[in-house]
Amino acid sequence: MKTIDIMRRAGRNLRQAKGRTFLTSLAIAVGAFTLTLSLAAGQGAREYADNLLKNNIDPRALFIVKDAKITSTSASSSLQEYSDDLGSSAATGRSVAIKMMTTDDIKKLEGRSDIEQVIPIYQLQAKYVTFQGVDKKYVAPITYFDSSTLVEASAGTVPALGVQIGDDEILVPQEFVDTLNMRAEELVGKKVTLIVTQSTATPTTDQITQAFMTGGDQAVKELLKPQTKEFSYMVRGVIKPSAMAITSNPRLHVSTNSAKAINDYANAGSAEGNKFFGVTALAKSDRNPETVKQAIQKDYGYTVQTAKDAQSLLFTFVNILQGIVAGFAMLALVASVFGIINTQYISVLERTSQIGLMKALGMRRRDIAKLFRYEAAWIGFIGGSLGVGLGLAVGWAANPVITKSLDLGDSSLLIFVWWQLAILIVALIIVAISAGWLPARKAARLDPIEALRTE
Amino acid sequence: MGCEVIEVQAVSKTYGKKKNIFTALRDVSFEIADGASVAIVGKSGSGKSTLMHVMSGLDKPEEGQIVIGGENILTFKPKQMDKFRSSEMSFIFQSFFVQGNESCYNNVSLPLEIANVPFRARKAKVERSLAAVELTEKRRSRARDLSGGQKQRLAIARAIVNEPKILFADEPTGNLDSATGEVVQDLLFRYNKENGTTLIVVTHDEDLAKRCDMQVYIKDGEIVKMTGAKS
Repeated sequence: MKTIDIMRRAGRNLRQAKGRTFLTSLAIAVGAFTLTLSLAAGQGAREYADNLLKNNIDPRALFIVKDAKITSTSASSSLQEYSDDLGSSAATGRSVAIKMMTTDDIKKLEGRSDIEQVIPIYQLQAKYVTFQGVDKKYVAPITYFDSSTLVEASAGTVPALGVQIGDDEILVPQEFVDTLNMRAEELVGKKVTLIVTQSTATPTTDQITQAFMTGGDQAVKELLKPQTKEFSYMVRGVIKPSAMAITSNPRLHVSTNSAKAINDYANAGSAEGNKFFGVTALAKSDRNPETVKQAIQKDYGYTVQTAKDAQSLLFTFVNILQGIVAGFAMLALVASVFGIINTQYISVLERTSQIGLMKALGMRRRDIAKLFRYEAAWIGFIGGSLGVGLGLAVGWAANPVITKSLDLGDSSLLIFVWWQLAILIVALIIVAISAGWLPARKAARLDPIEALRTE
Repeated sequence: MGCEVIEVQAVSKTYGKKKNIFTALRDVSFEIADGASVAIVGKSGSGKSTLMHVMSGLDKPEEGQIVIGGENILTFKPKQMDKFRSSEMSFIFQSFFVQGNESCYNNVSLPLEIANVPFRARKAKVERSLAAVELTEKRRSRARDLSGGQKQRLAIARAIVNEPKILFADEPTGNLDSATGEVVQDLLFRYNKENGTTLIVVTHDEDLAKRCDMQVYIKDGEIVKMTGAKS
């Protein structure tokens, strides 16, 4: 019997049991629907992450640390050997001691021919901040402006990608402007002053004795009193909060030179002064960041992350989430497999005499098995298309809402890729066929004489 | 083909094992001329249906041979047997076994599909067959909507569509009233006479048996009487 004829008969058999066919395929449709949405959400999340990184990180950017513990999440619980470049746990906010980079280490990196713009990661702290025209003092986190990330201005100007701000300039996030009860435009051109405290080195007994000798109590107090210094900048622009920005707390941004100046002052004399837990750098434009990474890791044993590494980290997260959803969809599919087996068994029992007749007429066992397998295939196809179609409809309806509520801007969370959906439907057909295997075999093995015995 | 003589040679068939052994056929032998009509007559449980199954290759006897056109069909491999049945044989049953949810057209088309008749050649054959049983009008109706007599006529159309050499009819009028039964009988015998198809009718109806060229009476798996046979 020709395959096309068997397929036609299989299709007609299903059409004549519409309700049953529909309900059986509905079970598959549930799985297909979930899988469609998980595929689309995964795709959307990956594209969103990709956009996010493209907009925020220069592909040449390298993040170099001396101690692998900074980039790994596992903290070592074993006893660690002391070395001079270990930073105190307070400096890193971690419960483990971390090997810090010294000025010498940074000099070595600066001397390399394959990277440029080596900037230590400064930990900047101001005692308080004042804004021109506002009486109150504020506490604000400060960072240096990273020219490899792109920002948008809601007032004033921000530099283009790769360009640093001036040493007398500062960028203020929109969130701060809101707190100040000012309009962004008003703040541009105003002065912002950071009051930075110097963490003095603990005076030696000799110093204290000498101070007491010369100036008495007063002089000792003076010696122990922390010094402060004002750093003033002009507001160049206000940074707009962006959906495409990697979420971080709003911060004041100064230039890298200013950051160095603040850092040098604040840490003068202290043990932490010229130690940093890492640096950022850019691979020279004619070098492949990956090769540079390998070279640095080989030369100094540092741990280096490229922009791609950051991307793969995000992707791993997306993949795990997608896997969980897909897992539930698989459970739904397993349930639907039993549905198909059950339905097809009943179908075989109902059509015993029909199968017997077909055998008497000389239909091959193989063809009878095919007839039932194709019916299962049709169920898989109908269920798969139904689920995928429903998924598309939901995606189409929900995408604008999700985009709006999550503030995603121009991107959509659910992105459908036609070839993924085509593969999904084909896979469901295969699943359905394998579910129909046992009932089909039962039909093929039916004894025609038994089947044709008149009731 | 030409001389499709059917020879049943010393056929024995048993069911069950040891204590529960049941002999359905015991040393049955006879010969049917090409194009003849034969009635296998017996009460229910006499073994007449088993004989039909054995002759059509659906069932295998323990002993004996079924020789059709010079070949022992019992030695055929399953594939060969299926092909032989689809091209040379056909069946009509007491309970019709038409596919209720298929249209009359598709019911008749089934044997052609099984025999791999090309799509284009099918239509003419199906139409001719439906016309022969006067069901042309019902071409698109579902088989389940037909009356009993119509269903059996549809079964006849299905049985003759591929022009078989041998037509088996198992109690073809058993489920019909005498008037419609008459019509079905007429159709069968007319087809037998006009096309030279060998007709083998299994029945317990004496009147139907008498219309055949030859009668084989079976009781407890043994031939008790044969009438009209060529000596």
